[in-house]
Amino acid sequence: MNFWEIGKRNLKEIYRNPVLLGFLLGMPIAFMLVFIAAAGGAQASPIALSIVDEDRSQNSSAFIQYLGHVDAIELNQPIYSEESQAQVDLQDGRISLYLLIPSGFQAAQHGNQTITLELIYKAADPMTGLQLKPVIEAVGSQFLGVPPPLNVELKGTESEIKNPAVNFYFPGIAVYGLMILISTAAGIIAGDRERGFLIRMFTTPAKPWDFILGYSLPFIPVLIVSTLIYLGVGMALGLTVVGNLGHAFLIFFLIGLCSVGIGMIVGSLVKSESQTGISWIFIVPMAMISGAWFTVDRMPSAIRSIAGALPFIHAIDASRAVLNGSPFSAIVLDIYWLVGWTVVLFATGIMLFRKTMVS
Amino acid sequence: MNAVQTFKLTKEFDSLVAVNGIDLEIHKGELFSLLGPNGAGKTTTIRMLCCLLKPTRGTASILGYDVVRTPFAVKKLIGVSPQDTVLSERLNCWENLALIGKVHGLSSNEAKARSKELLETMGLMERAKDQVRRFSGGMKRRLSIAMALVSNPQVLFLDEPTLGLDPQARRTISEYIAGLKGKKTILLTTHYMEEADSLSDRIGIIDEGKVVALGTPQELKTNTFQMRTMVVSTGNLTAEVISDLQQRYSRLEMSKGRLKIYHKELNFQEIVDYLHSRGVAVYSAALEQPTLEDVFIQITGKKLRD
Repeated sequence: MNFWEIGKRNLKEIYRNPVLLGFLLGMPIAFMLVFIAAAGGAQASPIALSIVDEDRSQNSSAFIQYLGHVDAIELNQPIYSEESQAQVDLQDGRISLYLLIPSGFQAAQHGNQTITLELIYKAADPMTGLQLKPVIEAVGSQFLGVPPPLNVELKGTESEIKNPAVNFYFPGIAVYGLMILISTAAGIIAGDRERGFLIRMFTTPAKPWDFILGYSLPFIPVLIVSTLIYLGVGMALGLTVVGNLGHAFLIFFLIGLCSVGIGMIVGSLVKSESQTGISWIFIVPMAMISGAWFTVDRMPSAIRSIAGALPFIHAIDASRAVLNGSPFSAIVLDIYWLVGWTVVLFATGIMLFRKTMVS
Repeated sequence: MNAVQTFKLTKEFDSLVAVNGIDLEIHKGELFSLLGPNGAGKTTTIRMLCCLLKPTRGTASILGYDVVRTPFAVKKLIGVSPQDTVLSERLNCWENLALIGKVHGLSSNEAKARSKELLETMGLMERAKDQVRRFSGGMKRRLSIAMALVSNPQVLFLDEPTLGLDPQARRTISEYIAGLKGKKTILLTTHYMEEADSLSDRIGIIDEGKVVALGTPQELKTNTFQMRTMVVSTGNLTAEVISDLQQRYSRLEMSKGRLKIYHKELNFQEIVDYLHSRGVAVYSAALEQPTLEDVFIQITGKKLRD
């Protein structure tokens, strides 16, 4: 019955290790909570919808009012009368999609003819449009009654982007890939600390910033190579780079530095056996609420606020925008945010090293 | 100026007083050993002297530099070989030595020249280009000491430099340390009493955070044991002889033909002549010197590796 004794021993090892137990039990709970929160639950945010009313009729106004009462929709004001202005705002990122009510809407309703509404989204962000299309169909049918038949067409903006899905998913997955540096950096520092190698180095005249730079600089080539590989693979899979590739590279570089900074802090504070769990408890939920895999538009505002305070969503949003053609001026705030986080994380790391060097 | 000086050096961890008001003066070029049972406060003292721990009270300085106020000046002067042979396992000998040398401010050429010298001295040149994770414990220990020496430090801290090594490796390292005597100030901690005895200029015995004995190895032996000992192997001791000896000397122990005589002054020849005169067969006789381990156990009341 040796296996029984060994099994008992290992069970004790697990339940007497609060970090491991916390990871095993806490991770699924954290996942569930984040998923539920991210999916919106009962407090899901409405989708901001802009309207272009080319018909400018009594019926089209009534339809717009009707849409305004739908919980899932938040109507942007003002209502456009020309599509050209909405196109400009969509391209510049001021709105995320708009519904075009064509001229002849009222006439078609009266004549029981098929009515076609167009839901126009930015080519690189098809997710919100997909979510909203069935809502418009249902609301439109309710408003119009039966007949006339309603046809809602989902259209992306005209764009050089060949495969919108790839352009949507690539930035999120690349940032998620760079977030793995959190665990890698934490592992190296925690390991050196526990083996006593850092203690030995602390007896030398090296200063705290020597350690911070010494542990972060080796990640720069890793970061550059990773980013180049991600971009290469992305392009091979159909990623279209409309904007400035250098700007995208800068964003990935900054978020990589942030990840290394977080890793150094985790590695300075926790044991190496705990760091993997702690790093991943941080990485996965952060990736989720930062829109690495799906849009954050429908997440509750509280979750979006948390995500907005962290650097990852800025990297994902900015890299998406840049790859899809936005100018540098459109992402400059995101860049400031990323630079700010990098500075704060590295300053915290230096402070922690200073504290660790003399206890 | 002393190489190492402490004044009422104290370190408390919550309610535990690990080091309790230690006053030490280690002269330049001296090899000073700090002995003590496990948990006596040796490593805590060294960690404070190496600027890794902040003293709760008291002061410590290395060559006049205060360890709290000027830690980086202190670190430039010291070399440390920690108890655990912590090396960068995936670097080779050259790389490990260059790392420490350059952090101490050596140029590439200086670090290379110094590393070459140390690798030759430590007998590591043949394996110098191998990753150290493939090394034996003895080789790692030698490299660890070389790393402490690569910056040519004025004060060297060697924390258990021969711990866990086979006798051959221990002897090699002891001989090397002996060769450094007079050239460097060395603070050594060891559990091997014979090593401390043969290497040290002076020894401090530390117990429960306090220095309980201080002096040269000989002074410690002489001062601790007021009586000398003579061991005689005999064949035919009589009750009369024993009674006579008990009257002459302070203490007598007998077991299985082995007679142990304790007294402040012992005259070897006089005792042997007396036994012969009383018809006692003497197979062997020797005046016994107390060992440092005897001193240690006498002072601390503890066995070493408890």
